[in-house]
Amino acid sequence: MASGEVTGGVGIVVVSHSRALAQAAVNLAAEMLHGQQVQIAIAAGLDETTFGTDAIQIKAAIERVDSPAGVVVLMDLGSAVLSAELALDLLANGTRDRVVLCPAPLVEGLVVATVAASGGATREEVAAEATAALLGKTAHLAPVATDARPAAFDEPAAASATFTVTNAHGLHARPAARLVTEVRRLDATVTIRNVTTGSPPVPATSLSRVATLGALQGHQVEVAAFGRQAVSAVDHLRSLAERNFDEPTDAPSAGTAAPLERGVADGGPLPASAGIGIGPVHQLAYAAPQVDEIPAGPPTAEWRVLIEAVAEVRRGIERIRAAAARDLGDNDAEIFDAHLLLLADPELLTAAKDRVAAGASAGAAWMASVADVAAQWAALPDPYLRGRADDLRAVTHQVLNAIAGGEDAVAAVDGVLVAQDLSPAQAAALDPARVRGVVLAAGSPTSHANILIRSHGIPAVVAAGPEVLELAAGTTVVVDGTAGRVVVASSREQLADYEHQALALAEQRALEVRDATRPALSIDGVRVEVAANLGSVGDAVAAARAGADSAGLIRTEFMFLGRAQPPSVEEQERDYRAMAEAFGSRPITIRTLDVGGDKSLPYVQQGAEANPYLGRRGIRLALVRADLLRDQLTAICRVARDTPVNVMFPMVSTVDELLRARAILKEAAGDEGMPALLRVGIMIEVPAAALKISSFLPHIDFVSIGTNDLTQYTLAAERGNPSVAGLADPLDPAVLRLVAEVGHAARGRVTVSVCGEAAADEAAIPLLVGLSVSELSVSAQAVPAVKAAVRRLDTQACAALADRALQASSAAEVRSLVAAANTASPAPRASRRPTVA
Amino acid sequence: MSDGVTRTDLEHWLQVFAKQVEDNKELLTELDAAIGDADHGVNMDRGLKAVLVALEQVPQATPAALFNKVGLTLVSTVGGASGPLYGTFFLRFGGAVGDEEPVPATQFAAALRAGLDGVVARGKAEPGDKTMYDALAPAIDALDAGLAAGEVWADALTRAVDAASAGREATIEMLARKGRASYLGERSIGHQDPGATSAALLVASANEALHDCA
Repeated sequence: MASGEVTGGVGIVVVSHSRALAQAAVNLAAEMLHGQQVQIAIAAGLDETTFGTDAIQIKAAIERVDSPAGVVVLMDLGSAVLSAELALDLLANGTRDRVVLCPAPLVEGLVVATVAASGGATREEVAAEATAALLGKTAHLAPVATDARPAAFDEPAAASATFTVTNAHGLHARPAARLVTEVRRLDATVTIRNVTTGSPPVPATSLSRVATLGALQGHQVEVAAFGRQAVSAVDHLRSLAERNFDEPTDAPSAGTAAPLERGVADGGPLPASAGIGIGPVHQLAYAAPQVDEIPAGPPTAEWRVLIEAVAEVRRGIERIRAAAARDLGDNDAEIFDAHLLLLADPELLTAAKDRVAAGASAGAAWMASVADVAAQWAALPDPYLRGRADDLRAVTHQVLNAIAGGEDAVAAVDGVLVAQDLSPAQAAALDPARVRGVVLAAGSPTSHANILIRSHGIPAVVAAGPEVLELAAGTTVVVDGTAGRVVVASSREQLADYEHQALALAEQRALEVRDATRPALSIDGVRVEVAANLGSVGDAVAAARAGADSAGLIRTEFMFLGRAQPPSVEEQERDYRAMAEAFGSRPITIRTLDVGGDKSLPYVQQGAEANPYLGRRGIRLALVRADLLRDQLTAICRVARDTPVNVMFPMVSTVDELLRARAILKEAAGDEGMPALLRVGIMIEVPAAALKISSFLPHIDFVSIGTNDLTQYTLAAERGNPSVAGLADPLDPAVLRLVAEVGHAARGRVTVSVCGEAAADEAAIPLLVGLSVSELSVSAQAVPAVKAAVRRLDTQACAALADRALQASSAAEVRSLVAAANTASPAPRASRRPTVA
Repeated sequence: MSDGVTRTDLEHWLQVFAKQVEDNKELLTELDAAIGDADHGVNMDRGLKAVLVALEQVPQATPAALFNKVGLTLVSTVGGASGPLYGTFFLRFGGAVGDEEPVPATQFAAALRAGLDGVVARGKAEPGDKTMYDALAPAIDALDAGLAAGEVWADALTRAVDAASAGREATIEMLARKGRASYLGERSIGHQDPGATSAALLVASANEALHDCA
């Protein structure tokens, strides 16, 4: 099944005694792919018919599917394991570090690993998903086994330990899920109790029971373990607790966030995902699906219905999880782990099985069993934990839908979806072929859910206010995700007008894509470079294909996230080189590791910070961990000896920071001196750096303005916080004045680029160009539209427009100035703006 | 009596080992049929026949290169767990035996020890797990002890053969804790371990081929 096309995803190697078995297992897994490509290689049998395993064959198979993303090896038994280990010994150092030998059972593991790899998961995630693959079967066949466990509770524990919960919200779903996952991997019976509240011990394999401990921050929790791996179970849990259950120390992220508040009154409605969508309103109801109380068949048949429904929902969530891990990062994807664990929860399944055995229907048994757990959770003292009952409800409804043979509430939406807000899971489940548009009463354009909506290409308007929830189902509405408007069509003519616009937009988009590979020149012949923001070799290939002139922002942290050790110099060099190759001889701009704030790494110790966005992040952290920075710069210098590379430092606020980073760069360059093709720059994200731009200029070759951070620091409004989303507008005159400061000082001396979301905002582009910005770096999918926007501009007019914008008093005023200028200028621009609101 | 083990001696050892395995193929398979998957004799025989062919391909190799070739050949041709285990044994043996010949007795013993360490690292076997380790380890201990006590090479080798045989016999009463035999649990008791049996052949063939060296 190895595809001809390089996908950049994790490769999988199947090691078996039997070639026929391996081939059949691969065929089975391929059914899950639905056309997606995963590199799978087989190393099985000594030949077609002789059973046996061969380390040399395994080594060759690993090398065939190896890429910077690495390889996961699944094995059957005995010599397969030994041969795989020997193959690892035989591999070259760089490759060996990227290979994970996965203990998952071959068939179950391969199916799940294939799905995870096709979703873009990292090798560690693929291996973890595969290892967890046995859980479903275990729960299915022996849910009663855990009932026997309490007998063990009275025996003296083989090992035990007490730790203090440090997580801000206690052992809520996500840390509890980490704990349960860890315990299930080990051959030990583990119980856990809350010493502070004096709760009785509960099995640590049950997420529903662990959550009932009500373990809050500061509570003492005792774990006790029996069995072969008792000691290591306790050690694992202790170190997991010390690591805060791998939860970032700052506020919970969007996936687990407390109920969202309405956006600031004057902030909405906000454009959230460009395009025009027209269709009947579909209000997202939270009503429970229909449950058939009367069993359709004997208990064994009902049980099968239930367990198959659970398995179906699990598979769906696994797909979503892999996609979320790719689009949002690991921390946010972990909320789905809690859902998965609930679906494999032995307590919950046993209770349901008992009810089915007693004559209940599949749906009724499931609902009643979940209701018990929900009641326990609802009785918890902490409102945050009580809120986790939402996770349970979401999963419950999905299973009931599956039993009824129906679809998920969100997946079944046709037309325009209207809701208070969407969770990332719901957003991920939207079907772009059916959902014409999304209107949210609350929400924020930068929320994770919205990023997913945008990645589907569904037009969306958020922060639209509670009145949209009053729209009658079936009413035809127009969602203008570009302008941020929701319009109830009052006449046929008006509707036809919008339909015409939507059609025109689609046609225009096709033209833009066609012209995307050509350079973007303004009407008066000024070239604006349109580059792409990217995070992986795969992105680079896709961006170059989409027409990006170069790589304007390579977010290297994606290479560092989701792994236990930082990537080696060689590994980094290989990736950077591959990205450069994707762009031919055009320069690539690499941003050095930017962690801290909302992104943390297991091998970078960061103390808890009350205000991580104002804390040790970006270059501040890099200078403390000079070893990481030096390795990264060494890799960058090696590549820059052969191909043009721009390196830039993030979050710079003083010249001294830049000089210290440059000193490390000089060390990294070594005896050969600075590579001739290397240019050095800084990101302008901190207002202080923008205002001191003249002091930086003698030491740099370019600057790149990160408008996202610059906006949130200038307006003191965190972009992830929906209640201030309306404030953080990059078109606020204060932000534009900072851009002007930089553009004015840099003109004729160093190049100025913009790599925030504003670079793809068609209202912002004329202003940025008018303020001397000569490069716009945007997501690959925005490249065609941004190039088209540049081609409509006259730079003289832009400069004049920018001058007026700098004098404006609000972002809204700036937007109307831009809109007025557009209306005044000739078509095609004018036709893109609806005039009726 | 010469002053070490020559390349010819080393090749001779492998030839004798291959011959003994061939002669005992049925026995090894029978032992494996009782507690495993009945392929040890066939697998080892196939692997060692391939080794004999490989030896002809590297007539000029140093001892280190020779055993590297032997190890990799076994890895690719045996198929069962003995492939990576014997393969690792010979790869590590090759790593420690050096490029010079003749190989002095102490270095030969040290190379055996390195091979054994490789087997332990690969198979994670412990004494009494009913594996090849239970024959190989006592033999190498005996060889080391004999040489350390100033015994002549031939006497030390004889001791090693005796220790390997005793170790092999001892596996009969052991409960298997590694490999497929471990799936049988208590039922594995009363059967001689095939891996320990072939390992004893390895030691016996060393005695036969190298008795008069060094």
